[in-house]
Amino acid sequence: MRVVIADDSVLLREGVSRLLADEHLDVVAKVASAEELLECVEAEAPDVAIIDIRMPPTHTDEGLVAAETIRRSSPRVGVLVLSQYTDTEYALRLLEGGEERCGYLLKDRVLDAGQLADAVRRVGDGGVVVDPELVARLVGRSRTSSPLDELTPKEHEVLELMAEGLTDRGIGERMYVTPKTVETHIRHIFSKLRLPETAADNKRVHAVLTYLRS
Amino acid sequence: MRAVRLLVWASGGALCAGMVLALRAVDQPELVKHRTLIGYTLLFVGLTIGVIVWDRRPDNRIGILLTAWPLVSILPDARWIFWNHALPVTLGFATIELFAPVFVHLILAYPTGRLTTRLDRLFVGFAYTFAGAYGLLFLLFFDPLSADEPNSDTCFIVGCAKPITHVATFNVHRIRHVFDWLALPLALIFLVLLARKLVRASPGGRRIVLPLSVAAFLVAGQFVAQIVLYGSSGVNTMTHTNWYWITAAAGLLVPIILGVDLLRRQSGRSAVADLVVELERTPPGFVREALARTLGDPSLELALWLPERESYVDSNGRELELPSSGPDRAVTVLGPPGSPIAALLHDPVLLERRGLLEAAGAAARLAVENERLQAELRAQLAELRASRTRIVQAGDEERRRLERNLHDGAQQRLLSLGLALQLARAELGAEANGASDLLNEAEDELRAALDELRELARGIHPAILTDQGLPAALRSLAERSSVPVNIVAVPDERLGESIEAAAYFIVSESLANCAKYAHASAVHVSITRRNGNAVIDIADNGAGGANPTCGSGLRGLSDRIQTLDGTFLLESPAGGGTHIHAEIPCAS
Repeated sequence: MRVVIADDSVLLREGVSRLLADEHLDVVAKVASAEELLECVEAEAPDVAIIDIRMPPTHTDEGLVAAETIRRSSPRVGVLVLSQYTDTEYALRLLEGGEERCGYLLKDRVLDAGQLADAVRRVGDGGVVVDPELVARLVGRSRTSSPLDELTPKEHEVLELMAEGLTDRGIGERMYVTPKTVETHIRHIFSKLRLPETAADNKRVHAVLTYLRS
Repeated sequence: MRAVRLLVWASGGALCAGMVLALRAVDQPELVKHRTLIGYTLLFVGLTIGVIVWDRRPDNRIGILLTAWPLVSILPDARWIFWNHALPVTLGFATIELFAPVFVHLILAYPTGRLTTRLDRLFVGFAYTFAGAYGLLFLLFFDPLSADEPNSDTCFIVGCAKPITHVATFNVHRIRHVFDWLALPLALIFLVLLARKLVRASPGGRRIVLPLSVAAFLVAGQFVAQIVLYGSSGVNTMTHTNWYWITAAAGLLVPIILGVDLLRRQSGRSAVADLVVELERTPPGFVREALARTLGDPSLELALWLPERESYVDSNGRELELPSSGPDRAVTVLGPPGSPIAALLHDPVLLERRGLLEAAGAAARLAVENERLQAELRAQLAELRASRTRIVQAGDEERRRLERNLHDGAQQRLLSLGLALQLARAELGAEANGASDLLNEAEDELRAALDELRELARGIHPAILTDQGLPAALRSLAERSSVPVNIVAVPDERLGESIEAAAYFIVSESLANCAKYAHASAVHVSITRRNGNAVIDIADNGAGGANPTCGSGLRGLSDRIQTLDGTFLLESPAGGGTHIHAEIPCAS
């Protein structure tokens, strides 16, 4: 899988690049700014671009803006945004551009090479990744009264994994149950939360996140 | 000069007396004798007032004009007393009808003694020329012995001397009526100019000009009416009909009004005495009003001199540039020369009452001094507020900078360190043994540090507020709150950095307090725009009893809102929940 890395810190660029190489991912380019990234994506057509959300010149959301641009101009390229922000706003903004081939992870995840490589692969394969910390906070968020209370502990767990962007199979593997069981859980969850059941697989992430946030 | 005035007054008086005596000797109806006696008495009264005004205000031409007006009304009568001497007869004809342009000049130049507009000067000049031409007609062509001349102009004394300037005999009376009819449009123009003067006058000026203008309207009006009704304004209509009374009344009004005005100037001293009493009761900030009332100029402004700043300020402490004195605005500086206390910006018409102006200024000195201290205080207060706002803004800017530095400096370095640890672990591979545990421990510490750093940066300044605006930032706060938050309303448009920051920190602090103390099960947050204000409401259903004076959090918020000219209100009855209400003015 061909990967490009965009980060204005050279230490991080190099470090992440070496970690991913150890995980057998092919880092084809490393760039320091959003502009270079766009040119590089055009030239290299990578499978995934790993993008730091803060880049010059203003160090706010340049990376996210670049990711949105790439999703419009090169839909075949997956984007994985690494962020210092734990605000769901940014993740949802990314998901609004289409619920495939994208991911929003806290930057701390680079400290776990396996987890990072796994996320890159999922995004490269067309999936969605949302940082578990964001999901955990949304699920654990205090509410006055909520249909969430009606969910069984198992269903709760499925909901969290679903929000992180896992597929039915992925959830099954994580929970050691068959995909059939997962499907049943998901049907129950959707009916308890009164979400439209037509939303299949990845399309569900946005619906679930929006529901959790409201 | 006083001798000249005395001489003028005495000779005018003598002329009046002579005229009355001469008339007694002539065979005339009693009615006419009576009325001429009254007429000359009135002229003498007018002359006396004129001389007094001239004496009191030698710098103002009004005195001379007011003296000249009755004088040139009497002088032509010299030809009747000294009828057989050519010189008085010549003098009489030379000044005949001169009273009209002098009157016009007097009224239009009142109260400054100067003709202010070009049109006024043109008109007065023309009136003098016109009267002069009329006199010249008699001087050159009038022959009392000519059989064609009716005796109307020499009605009392027949067969007077010929003017010494006589060059040819010509029937003057034939064209006399032409002059009368030409005088009619001139009188009408005068009325228009008078009306214009009234309309253009400042409120203070109008108050002074109005009474005299009414009298002048009456004088000119009755002149117009006489010509229209009788075809002549001559002596016969004046002495033989009831027009006489109107003429007399109108003619008397003018000197009386001017006399009263003079008295009023003197009574200005009593107005100053009233001012002194009034100022005792005047609260600071209202000295201007008291002065405006005393001086009769509602447009009066008070500029206070602040020596430290070397500039004038108004009573609110705002700096003020003194205008240069002109036709619309005059400036009078109060206080000893070189060290002003204050300046009055007023209607130039008040310069006519300089004595009153200076007396009032002197009387108000203490109050003005007091006012000045107040203004100074206000100026300092305004400066303080401005600097407080600057401090808050600088603080906000500094917070943003800190947040950036934490994210892009410390955090990046910690992450690099983490990466280095991972690579080290990979290098060690299977040989790690005990080192592996150490590395795990280090990585855990590192994660905790990163978490803390992230929360610290967030607390210093939320990047999401700058990037995404208030709605996103509030949703983010709600997500983090341990008490369920219901965001009722929040405007989508940006409100400006400092207002958004204030709103965000109010909500953030309130939610933190609510979580810590209130034991609430729900908080409602609403931010709306109403009447140019951002209105912020945060209400919980908790225990209440929050005290705004303790705890630096709320105190700081209240201060922050005040720097934005906003208001902050906390209601927290025990057991009744806590309600925080803040309003911050926002532009557009």
